[in-house]
Amino acid sequence: MSPLRSSPLHAVLTARQARFATLLGMPVAVQVSNADQARAATAGVIDVSCLERVGLKGPRAAEWLAERGVPVPAQPNQWCATERDELVARLARSEFLIEGGPGGISVPAVRAELRAGLDGVYPVWRQDCALMLIGSCIPELLVQTCNVDFAAQPVGEPVVTLTQMVGVSVTVLRHSLSGAPAWRVWCDYTAGTYLWETLVGIAEELGGGPAGITAAWPALQAG
Amino acid sequence: MSRRLPRIEGEWIDRGRELDFSFEGQGFRGFAGDVPASALWAAGVRVLGRSFKYHRPRGVLSLAQHDVNTLMQAGQRLNLRADVEPLEPGMALEAVNTSGGVARDRLRIFDRLSAFLPVGFYYKAFHKPARHAGGWERVFRKVTGLGRLDFSTPHIRTPKRYDFTDVLVVGGGASGLSAALAAGQAGARVVVVDENARLGGSLGYQRGGDAESLARLRDLEARLAALPNVSLRPGTLAAGWYADHWVPLVDATRMTKLRARAVIVSQGAFEQPAVFRNNDLPGVMLASAAQRLMYRYAVRPMDTAVVLAANADGYRAALDLAAQGVRVAALADLRPQGQGGDLAGRVTQAGINILAGHGVLEAVGSGDRLSSVVLCPVDASGRPDASRRQSIACDGLLMSVGWAPAAALLYQSGCRMVYDESAGQFVPAQLAEGMFAAGRVNGVHALEARLADGTRAGCEAAAWLGFDAPAAEAVARTPGASHPWPVIEHPAGKNFVDFDEDLQLEDFFNAAQEGFDNIELLKRYTTVGMGPSQGKHSNMNAIRILARIVGRSPGEVGTTTARPFFHPVPLSHLAGRGFNPHRETPMHARHEALGARWMQAGLWLRPEYYAAGGTDKDECVRSEVRAVRGGVGLIDVGTLGKIELFGPDAGEFLERVYTGRFANLKVGMTRYAVMTDESGVVIDDGVVGRLAEEHWYFTTTTTGAATVYRELQRWNAQWNLRIGIVNATGAYGAMNLAGPLSRKVLSSLTELDLSNEAFPYLGLRQARVAGIDVRLMRVGFVGELGYEIHVAAEYAPALWDALMAAGLGHGIRPFGVEAQRVLRLEKGHIIIGQDTDGLSTPDEVGLAWAVKMEKPFFVGKRSLDIVRRRGPRQMLVGFELDAGAAAVPRECHLVIRGGGIAGRVTSIVRSEALGRTVGLAFVAPDMVAEGTALSVRAEGGVMVAARVVALPFYDAAGTRQKSTD
Repeated sequence: MSPLRSSPLHAVLTARQARFATLLGMPVAVQVSNADQARAATAGVIDVSCLERVGLKGPRAAEWLAERGVPVPAQPNQWCATERDELVARLARSEFLIEGGPGGISVPAVRAELRAGLDGVYPVWRQDCALMLIGSCIPELLVQTCNVDFAAQPVGEPVVTLTQMVGVSVTVLRHSLSGAPAWRVWCDYTAGTYLWETLVGIAEELGGGPAGITAAWPALQAG
Repeated sequence: MSRRLPRIEGEWIDRGRELDFSFEGQGFRGFAGDVPASALWAAGVRVLGRSFKYHRPRGVLSLAQHDVNTLMQAGQRLNLRADVEPLEPGMALEAVNTSGGVARDRLRIFDRLSAFLPVGFYYKAFHKPARHAGGWERVFRKVTGLGRLDFSTPHIRTPKRYDFTDVLVVGGGASGLSAALAAGQAGARVVVVDENARLGGSLGYQRGGDAESLARLRDLEARLAALPNVSLRPGTLAAGWYADHWVPLVDATRMTKLRARAVIVSQGAFEQPAVFRNNDLPGVMLASAAQRLMYRYAVRPMDTAVVLAANADGYRAALDLAAQGVRVAALADLRPQGQGGDLAGRVTQAGINILAGHGVLEAVGSGDRLSSVVLCPVDASGRPDASRRQSIACDGLLMSVGWAPAAALLYQSGCRMVYDESAGQFVPAQLAEGMFAAGRVNGVHALEARLADGTRAGCEAAAWLGFDAPAAEAVARTPGASHPWPVIEHPAGKNFVDFDEDLQLEDFFNAAQEGFDNIELLKRYTTVGMGPSQGKHSNMNAIRILARIVGRSPGEVGTTTARPFFHPVPLSHLAGRGFNPHRETPMHARHEALGARWMQAGLWLRPEYYAAGGTDKDECVRSEVRAVRGGVGLIDVGTLGKIELFGPDAGEFLERVYTGRFANLKVGMTRYAVMTDESGVVIDDGVVGRLAEEHWYFTTTTTGAATVYRELQRWNAQWNLRIGIVNATGAYGAMNLAGPLSRKVLSSLTELDLSNEAFPYLGLRQARVAGIDVRLMRVGFVGELGYEIHVAAEYAPALWDALMAAGLGHGIRPFGVEAQRVLRLEKGHIIIGQDTDGLSTPDEVGLAWAVKMEKPFFVGKRSLDIVRRRGPRQMLVGFELDAGAAAVPRECHLVIRGGGIAGRVTSIVRSEALGRTVGLAFVAPDMVAEGTALSVRAEGGVMVAARVVALPFYDAAGTRQKSTD
């Protein structure tokens, strides 16, 4: 039996008596409480660290991705989605983050290819704590935790923001989930617990809180 | 409520909501919307507090945040500002600075002793003998006390928030509101903040006896309400200005950090008191204070008033008094020619006697309140003619002699201010980029001019941001709004300049005479402007006085530094919700379950040791050390910095940033690496491994990771080598399996050949352990056979579990940082930052072997070359305590030679393996020979004998870490 991946938030979600299911080789909190849906409607904080991701950088990184048919955002600090709903974020002129969806994708294959060692394309080992923030009060949560004016970013514009949130370096982007805005936040694995606890504390004051991954992707319930 | 006026349009009080409260034990009743001072004044109370130094009775001065002498205690709330904080039902208020109550304050005796308490007396009188200093401090704290701190006060967690806008307008008076309107109409997002409970500023209370200004306010409010892009925030203080137009906004519940693209400062000006004898008597107040009492709180400030004026505002105040039924016995105008024009005509028509060229020689009290004022002619230079004095009975005296701009935010933003002789105030000469000023702070005082100036500033700010705003013409400053010398000397003194600190006019002359004739020195010696109001009512007069003393203009004297915060802010707002990041390794929950006792290492939480079986810390550490020396232990070293380096020039890059040689390092091997800065000082160390020809992986110290990564990026920005640097610190977990049985444990989980031949000491391998891809380094920080295992963070817990399970039969123990410190010290390994200091070179700390000076270049090489020619400053040596030492020194205890300091202990430990206490110490370069006797001063001055010994203390041949077993 293969060893399981471990989310940086496994312990704190276990303490919340979350219900777990294995997804992409990682025990994932599918439900934190019966209030998940209500929290997600207000200010839901969802652990999506299980999603596969890979990073790459180097002078040929953009070219290498394009050669593989991966859409490349035109500018740094932009993102786009692939046909399979993978997120491709351009973090700098020559640095990219690719994250798969809950259905699993080709990220491991890309990672394996990168590992072989390429000229001008270098792998960036991504072991992020990844969160999804959804709900009507997330804009308020963001202004309490981050000094970037997300409200000024036009809806629909594929902006990737590298900044600090509650003192932790994060990458943030806004996308749409079933027609509603959702924010994705990535931070260092080792800062994940602190970031999660801080965001959850504020989310709870706003009437939200931690929620399971099925609050974002109900279809995962069956699995 | 005998002094309440009939209902006034625009009043702030809600007459439908009466509030009961008490002051000094006596019951009172006010209205919602009152402040304690207004409610008490309405009830006829005149003494609201006692002054700081002389405990003189004080009443209303400004009603604008400067009435420091009326600070009150309300239960657990201390230093409540009675002049601005809202009255609340049930408040039990007490004056803070009394002994025995405000009416019978026993410390009022200080007023009679004032001749013995001149400025700076405490600097001269209470510093000898030194042993009494603590006692004097307690006495002073008691007699000059502010509120009583109740340590059981609940911790209020005030949230913080960020906010953003195009234009921030600071100050919601005439100029601010018109600026907001102009910017808002141009399409900008506008936030207007005002520290007062309601917007409008002086439009609401400086009415000049008619309804014009109030009508203007209502019109502005209506037009602003129609603009959805304008946010009006009364009760919000813009507490400071920081780079990039970050402005902390403080309201009743929280602090908001607002970033504006442009800032318009329209905070107005502080009305300034005149300086004359007894100008602090209750009943003597700024004209604007009386106007606030009348129009905000509907309180009759006095029955009979005298107005001391030196500008048009004083005449308007007299008209306001008359309009509200106050008899104005006289208006004394300091200016020889008086006001003239229509305004003077209206005052005269109101039956008010104008005495041009007159000032107040003194105010006279009866009991604790004003009963009359003595007026006399004043010449153009301010000299009074006391022979022509006249006394006028009154219970109120209004001072309207000038203004000081509320320019703190402008100063903080780097604005250059100059003194405008015509306006009589400092005005902006050169504003910082994105900063705009309007209204009184800009030297514009007349109502129509302020409105126009606000429109101009709003248009300019909007246009600066790229909005389509009409060009507006500059507005001329108002001449003569402030009198150049509102000071009347009196031989009996008690003519106060600073009401916070009880500073009199003579104090300034005395300070200057003692040589403190520079505004910054004067401030520090006299403490002018250092009280809670931060000089808002005193600095301008202090500048004028000093200017006259030294024969210069106020502009030449200059101002003191204006620092944030602009007004005092509750500490709860500053503390707020704390964002104190910490990092946890992937095995954090495992350590918790194993009983880890935590310690902080930079941002990290690390197990210091694992509590086991009720034994104490020392025994826990000893048993962990024994496990590693005799069996096998596992420590989480995931906090080490971890950096990957790619590219054809990676080897060359490492040659440049580390002191050693790396280009020749074979694939699959590691090497110890030392990093120095440009001055040759050791700043980090680690292990560099070569995974492939163009792929390197290396570690840094735990606390150095971020700095090293940043430095590497900085260097390559200059060198432009073909490399890619990746900070993988958080992406990898790491653990060190150490001890003579470590190979046995590891071999059960991997197919990798772990023999010395296949995987030698300092080797580097990529393999699978327990089905997980890992990187293995054979390193020996603790001096035993060991494997440092690096693994993707998400698999680290699984690997930890597998190693612990595999080691179960071998007695594996997790060990913490404390045991590792013992183990490494026995081996003589140094810790950067603990066994080095900010000047340590590699030569001084035994790392000369790791420096390859034959290389053409590395960072710090040139400096090391120079330093080597000079010789070492100190040397790190190993030492052991003599048997039977009287005490065990601790880290940082000093090495003493000939009564002087010859060094210090950097690390020390009692070694069970060695049976002695050993350590590392910096000593003078001539004390490094083995056997040199050291004398270390331990706790309590006990001298302890030690001697220099060779390093390492343990396994000098290094056979254990290269073990073949």
